[in-house]
Amino acid sequence: MHITRPIATLSLVAASALVLAGCSSAGEEAAEAADAPTASEAETVEFSWDRNIAGEDEEPELEKTTVEVPKNPEKIVAFEMSTVDTIGALGGEVAGAPLDSVPDYLQDALADDAFNAGTLFEADLIEIEAQQPDLIVIGGRSSGLYEDLSEIAPTIDLGIAGTYTETLERNVTFLGEVLGAEDEAASALEDLEAGIDEAKAVTAEAGTGLGVMVSGGELSALAPSEQGGGSANVRGGLLYDVFGVEPVVEDIASATHGEPVSFEFLLEKNPDTLWVVDRDVATGEAEAGAAAEVLDNDIVKQTAAAQNDRIVYLDPVAWYIVYGGIETTQLLIDDVMQIAS
Amino acid sequence: MTLTASAPTSAPAPTRPRRTWVGALIGACLVALVGVSLFVGVSDVSPLSLLTGGPDSSAAYLLVASRIPRTLAAILVGASLGIAGLIMQMLVRNRFVEPGTTGVSEFATLGMLVTIVFWPGMAVVGKMGVAAVFGLVGTWVFLRVVRAVPVRQLVLVPLVGIMLGGVVGAVTTFFAYRLDLLQSLGQWAQGSFATVMQGRYEMLWVAGVMVVVAWFAADRFSVIGMGEEFATNLGLDYRRVVAVGMVIVAVITAAVLVTAGMIPFLGLVVPNVVSLIIGDNVRRSIPWVAGLGAVFVVGCDIVARVVRFPYEIPLSVIVGIVGALLFLWLLLRRRSRAH
Repeated sequence: MHITRPIATLSLVAASALVLAGCSSAGEEAAEAADAPTASEAETVEFSWDRNIAGEDEEPELEKTTVEVPKNPEKIVAFEMSTVDTIGALGGEVAGAPLDSVPDYLQDALADDAFNAGTLFEADLIEIEAQQPDLIVIGGRSSGLYEDLSEIAPTIDLGIAGTYTETLERNVTFLGEVLGAEDEAASALEDLEAGIDEAKAVTAEAGTGLGVMVSGGELSALAPSEQGGGSANVRGGLLYDVFGVEPVVEDIASATHGEPVSFEFLLEKNPDTLWVVDRDVATGEAEAGAAAEVLDNDIVKQTAAAQNDRIVYLDPVAWYIVYGGIETTQLLIDDVMQIAS
Repeated sequence: MTLTASAPTSAPAPTRPRRTWVGALIGACLVALVGVSLFVGVSDVSPLSLLTGGPDSSAAYLLVASRIPRTLAAILVGASLGIAGLIMQMLVRNRFVEPGTTGVSEFATLGMLVTIVFWPGMAVVGKMGVAAVFGLVGTWVFLRVVRAVPVRQLVLVPLVGIMLGGVVGAVTTFFAYRLDLLQSLGQWAQGSFATVMQGRYEMLWVAGVMVVVAWFAADRFSVIGMGEEFATNLGLDYRRVVAVGMVIVAVITAAVLVTAGMIPFLGLVVPNVVSLIIGDNVRRSIPWVAGLGAVFVVGCDIVARVVRFPYEIPLSVIVGIVGALLFLWLLLRRRSRAH
């Protein structure tokens, strides 16, 4: 093809301009750093991940991608809620994010004049371009935005990599390095690991459990992630995989939204603890307590979980929407610890 | 409700053979399926466990709290949706309409979305009321639009209805999308009896009452089905009967939507099958339609419970597959007769 596409050309020019600008400023700062006797660290951190370069509905085709990320970036745009969480917890702040999707407990992580970067799935490219961020973090729902966003600023994907704890560890360690808060990151991870271990000790004593999601008056049973790994390690999977809850049924297919079940199913399987995710609250559709209303009936009252007072309502936003992050993981731990007494 | 399945005795001169044995067959099927439905489920509820356990056993409890309500709900939904389809077909004088192909279901869904957005804590009665009002508006709009269509071709009328439903459905989807309710709406509109139990299905009795109303007005609907002029010449208040029909259709649609969700094709297929067997006399066909509709839904609900035991498959999936096949068969059959 000899026809030059104007947009491609423009973006190429823009990209190279950015690269040049980046180089020159980095160069200047490097020179300054060299002048200062104490500063001896590198100005960038390298981050690599396997990027899916196939389309959204295609078989994934992975390509190793490495991006140089500036240290102590001034303006960070984060499409990934766990990143917003961790940056906030490490003392940084986020300059731009999909504001409508930032849960209440993470509002502190936003800069006072934080701008709306779009939605969890789509980026407001014009606004982001105008804001000239130094670093963009995507992941999960926004992974497909890499091509567009990487032309504006260094863009990295902090989505799911391995199990929950592996993802958490990688992302917290990396963001600690970027923010120059390695020690805080390490100690936060240590605390969380201790918390998870403590919670595991509690669940080990607590007998069987079943995660259920309540939505629109319907129940679905949540599943442990499939044996031998697999990426379905989300939502209900966290209960069994991270916190060691003994599943009352083993063979629930690892669908992200679980399998539809009846009240009779709850009574027949009779778990010692019922862990409830109220999906309608997570998506802002219902007031808290909607799930409790659905479960407030005579059949459920006969289950062991109800009679032991072990129906635990989990923080729907933390369990259903945010995957990873320091504060979120602490919330998960607190929720599980509710059954310790 | 099993009584409604037997053939009526006070029918006018039949246009086709009475075929009482088919009516008896429907009745027998319904009785058998109800028996199966009462004793199929996750927990052990069998005639044996009932006998050995006595009236205080958990089997007896579950029978009353879960199985009987679920079976009743399926019967009520099947019977009333069949009737809603039948009435709709008489109102429009077209064999291929039902609430789902005339935009009524979509209007009712929009009403449901409105209650979710503005009054999330509203009681089920209120939600049903709002959905019914929207359904009523939908029926009215559809009748107006159909009247404006110059040629009353067989396929054109449902096509107009499906287009109307598409437009309203798009509006609903748009708002649900903007408000992040898309997934919830899907979850909620999906037809299923999985969480039906005592205290959670009673709204369907309203639909049952509508079936009775339809039965009382049956002869009038037969006359309506012959056209406005004919009906007026016979001294019938055409508008009033149409209004009654609209209310019946809207209330049934809303009651089923609020308690069970969307159940496709049923209102289309069941009256057509009955019409093939015994013709178009509404008074004669109402018990058949109600009975066959009940057989259809109870049967599909048993399949929904059994296929992925102990989990469930949404009922609408099963009804959709069976209903679509029957619908295709009806369409092709009609065409081969026309040539």
